[in-house]
Amino acid sequence: MLRRSHSLQRRLLILVLGVVTIVWLVTAALTWLDVRHELDELLDGHLAQAAAILVVQQGQEVDGDHDSVDAPSLHRYAPRVAFQVFHEGRLTMRSTNALQTALTGDDSEFKSGFTSVQIEGVAWRVFSTYGAERDVHVYVGEEAGAREHILWAVLRSTLLPMAIALPLLALALWGAIYRSVAPMRRLGLTLTQREPLALAPLALDGAPTEIAPMVDALNSLFERIGELLESERRFTADASHELRTPIAAIRAQAQVALGETDDAMRRHALRNTLEGCDRAIRLVDQLLTLSRLEASATPVMEKIDLALLVRQVVGDLAPKSIAKGQSLEFDCTEPCPVSGNETLLAVLVRNLVDNAVRYSPASARVAVAVRRRPDGRVVLQVDDSGPGLSEQDLIRLGERFFRVPGSDEAGSGLGWSIVKRVATVHRMQLHTARSEKLGGLAVTVIV
Amino acid sequence: MRILLAEDDSLLGDGLRAGLRQLGFQVDWVRDGDAAERELRAQAYTAAVLDLGLPRKDGLKVLASIRAAHIATPVLVLTARDTVPDRILGLDMGADDYVVKPVDLNELAARLRALVRRAHGQPQECLTAQDVVLDPAAHTVRRADVPVTLSNREFDLLQTFMLSAGRVLTREQLEQQLYSWGQEVDSNAIEVHIHNLRRKLGNALIHTVRGVGYTLLRDPPQS
Repeated sequence: MLRRSHSLQRRLLILVLGVVTIVWLVTAALTWLDVRHELDELLDGHLAQAAAILVVQQGQEVDGDHDSVDAPSLHRYAPRVAFQVFHEGRLTMRSTNALQTALTGDDSEFKSGFTSVQIEGVAWRVFSTYGAERDVHVYVGEEAGAREHILWAVLRSTLLPMAIALPLLALALWGAIYRSVAPMRRLGLTLTQREPLALAPLALDGAPTEIAPMVDALNSLFERIGELLESERRFTADASHELRTPIAAIRAQAQVALGETDDAMRRHALRNTLEGCDRAIRLVDQLLTLSRLEASATPVMEKIDLALLVRQVVGDLAPKSIAKGQSLEFDCTEPCPVSGNETLLAVLVRNLVDNAVRYSPASARVAVAVRRRPDGRVVLQVDDSGPGLSEQDLIRLGERFFRVPGSDEAGSGLGWSIVKRVATVHRMQLHTARSEKLGGLAVTVIV
Repeated sequence: MRILLAEDDSLLGDGLRAGLRQLGFQVDWVRDGDAAERELRAQAYTAAVLDLGLPRKDGLKVLASIRAAHIATPVLVLTARDTVPDRILGLDMGADDYVVKPVDLNELAARLRALVRRAHGQPQECLTAQDVVLDPAAHTVRRADVPVTLSNREFDLLQTFMLSAGRVLTREQLEQQLYSWGQEVDSNAIEVHIHNLRRKLGNALIHTVRGVGYTLLRDPPQS
């Protein structure tokens, strides 16, 4: 299934900002927990300390009859803090905001330590303790809300800079990502603005290592397409050029047949017309083979027995050789497994043997041999007793459409190009020389 | 009209030779550039059909070297090289006509006749001398508007004379123009053909120049 396309830039931005926000929130939560714990410890300590002071003070003034002394309020937090001192169940001292009854509710149910209570709907934290003779009860309370205030203040001071920093961070990130994906944007733009048929390699200056493989892959694709187009173009040009002569021959022969009154002559012209057609077909076949060979990438390689393949090809061509009065022999005693493409190797062998048969005169000998050398390499050799080739012609062999001058056979001049191409694809060595065995041409293929 | 055909492709060469023969040309066929140049230098052909992609010596080189040797034989280039630069190059190298394969045999023959006509400064298709009119395309001869039946040889001989009207032609020159390779020439064949022409067209047309040869008079002699 196709996934919806998305902007890399937006995705990165959302991802990074999201992660940063989550990290900050987690930090804030941890800070909150930690600060609250420490704050509780500290303020509880203060409450206990204040209670201790009151207990000590009460011990000294226990006989003084200060009934309900109201301590002055000295700080803005004072209303949030309250204390009470009871002596034998009677309230002897309290802060102005403290109630007449004990902060924890009832002095008779005294219990020392920290308690959290609700007084008039407000949460208080109260520390209760007693003097040495247990007749003095001291309550020190603090509004729990005060602690929340401090906590919020602390949290605010941590979160506020973060909240201000987030948009700035987003902006900075956006800029950085924008710059980072610029080469990709440039690549996209270059590709859209290119001529549809432009095949020149892409040159992307300062391309980051991440997109370099993509640019390389594109360039090699362009190169490949260029080669294909060139091969197509060459095929068309070659076909239109090389088919002119055979077609001219067919046309001329047909016209001669049409205008000929002598029956034997007309039959001769008609036979020539047919021969011309066969030649044109052969030429087209060869051109197509060569064109496919040049256009195709590495063909599928498999293990095949070259001896078997050559035997088949020799068998196919034997009737033609016999018709020319030649002797065609095949020599091989053992299987010769090679790695190659069967179709292509068959084309190679067929061309080699066919050339030998075609360009050797009547009653000539053509010897085909496949053998395994001591070093394990397989050698295919085609010898003939034909006229062979001059040094000059050997050099020109394999030029497209080069035909050996003076040869009467209707060759296309493409066979050798095909042989060379197949050999290259298979990394085979190709040698041509004067045949030591039969005196004509010897072609050796080393796998 | 005797034509040199230089074409290395055996099927096409065979077809062109047979076709041009049907259309009344004498054709000598060579298969490589060296032979083409040798023959063009050795014999006076009425015209030549030259392929460019010849073995041993490229057609263009043959053309350049015969033109450099002041051989004016009209040359029709017949080739597969069909691009405009190729055509321009061919014509500039001395070709009189440039035809891309494949070609219709009748067109090729017409072009050859036109080349020959131009080479002899003849504006019309028909050749005229005195009251005799020869139509190379229709292969007919009329005397005072009456059709005259001639054999192929007689026709060729008359055409050769008419193309070179006023010039004296030796027996060897006439034989060269009339017979392609491999055709046997009787020692008195030319005399026999001229005798027949005089019988059919009158004695005023062809005159014997003793010890030299024969000449055709464009206008009747003042008697």
